[in-house]
Amino acid sequence: MLLLPRFDYEEPKDLSEACRILAGLKGNGKVIAGGTDLLVNMKKGLISPTCLVGISKIPGLSEIEPQNGSIFIGSNLIVAKLTEFEVIKKKYPMLYEAASVLGSPLIRNRATIGGNIVTARPAADLPPPLIAMGARVRLKNRRGEREVELDRFFKGPGETIIKKDEILTGIILDEPPIFSGGNYIKLGHRKALEIAIVAVASFIVLDKPDGIIMDAKVILSSVAPKAIHAVSAEKTLIGEKPTDKLIERAANLASQDCSPIDDIRGSAQYRCAMVEVLTKRTLTAALKQAKKSR
Amino acid sequence: MKRIINLIVNNKAYEIAVLPNRTLTQVLREDLNLLGTKEGCGIGDCGACTVILNGRPVNSCLVLAVQANGCNIQTIEGVADGNNLHPIQEAFVEYGAIQCGFCTPGMVLSAKSLLEKNPKPTEMEIREAISGNLCRCTGYQKIVEAIQAASKKMKKR
Repeated sequence: MLLLPRFDYEEPKDLSEACRILAGLKGNGKVIAGGTDLLVNMKKGLISPTCLVGISKIPGLSEIEPQNGSIFIGSNLIVAKLTEFEVIKKKYPMLYEAASVLGSPLIRNRATIGGNIVTARPAADLPPPLIAMGARVRLKNRRGEREVELDRFFKGPGETIIKKDEILTGIILDEPPIFSGGNYIKLGHRKALEIAIVAVASFIVLDKPDGIIMDAKVILSSVAPKAIHAVSAEKTLIGEKPTDKLIERAANLASQDCSPIDDIRGSAQYRCAMVEVLTKRTLTAALKQAKKSR
Repeated sequence: MKRIINLIVNNKAYEIAVLPNRTLTQVLREDLNLLGTKEGCGIGDCGACTVILNGRPVNSCLVLAVQANGCNIQTIEGVADGNNLHPIQEAFVEYGAIQCGFCTPGMVLSAKSLLEKNPKPTEMEIREAISGNLCRCTGYQKIVEAIQAASKKMKKR
């Protein structure tokens, strides 16, 4: 049996108490939400915080709140709920898709959206669609609050710009633009409890149903230390009229935009080839959706 | 330092003093002597430790007992009605869905959560619902058949 090392446990009743406790712990504390990543790492002896700060009793952190056009998703909201709320399925289908392939049903009932972000795993499922849709994260400490684009949040595997006394309180997603569409595909060996070999999230915005591409985001996951933009693919798409040929060219460029490693899940060469395939598929699906959306 | 927590397990209230580093699996097995909940991998991959926490099946090896304070928990011991097996348990017996039995408590609880939400699941929905529960004996086919049979049984009652 894997045992957990000893630690203290605090369960603040509100955010200001939580910030005070974290500041007092001077970097030796860790926030625990679902614990599906943190407790595994603690059992394996990879980290041993002296105190865990549970955030489940803090009001507002486990809910979705509409905020004039955009929505605020509390960081402690479990991943299963992202697949249950009608608003997510309807307005942010890409997030729904990513949430429904994360871990297993048992994991999705504990794992949280905030946890999937702060742990900064290179193969995490929720960051690619969130980055593609321009999500922002709200970070709070004793001195105040800041909002950061998720795109600028990650530094590398397990590393983010969050300070040791900060709590990620939620994620903000703006209303998707008219004539926009997105798609997320995760490639794994099996359908559950799988870490992606490659995953791609694509999001495009058209000026009108048969118009040109105003904005394009192609986010590649599991092929670099963190989720990255397929920069040259995005450049190729923007300003052009979408055709099969253009999508094929963008997909080919995307496979050259990444720097995967060989590991147990797949070789670098295979990953690059799959980036091309998945980029093509996600762009095609995103385009189809964008033409229909209004 | 130990903390006092309150749990409702299988409709019975408990007040227990626990250290923060003890998991819900440990407390159920060691403090409440509910040995039906198994610990397999201990890291959320196998589902042997599945319990229903506030209506949702979870890996109890990745829940701190202190996090479960105030929660309602159902373990495999709370599924049968006295000496009468639950239709899912009956079907598992009838269809040969149990071999070594280590995954069974978790399988039954995942199946129960599914059938309560979705009384007539498709085969794919069943396979999806038990995808966090590993079985190394049966090859899953008999488990899937048992859950399909249980769905029909439960509809009749």
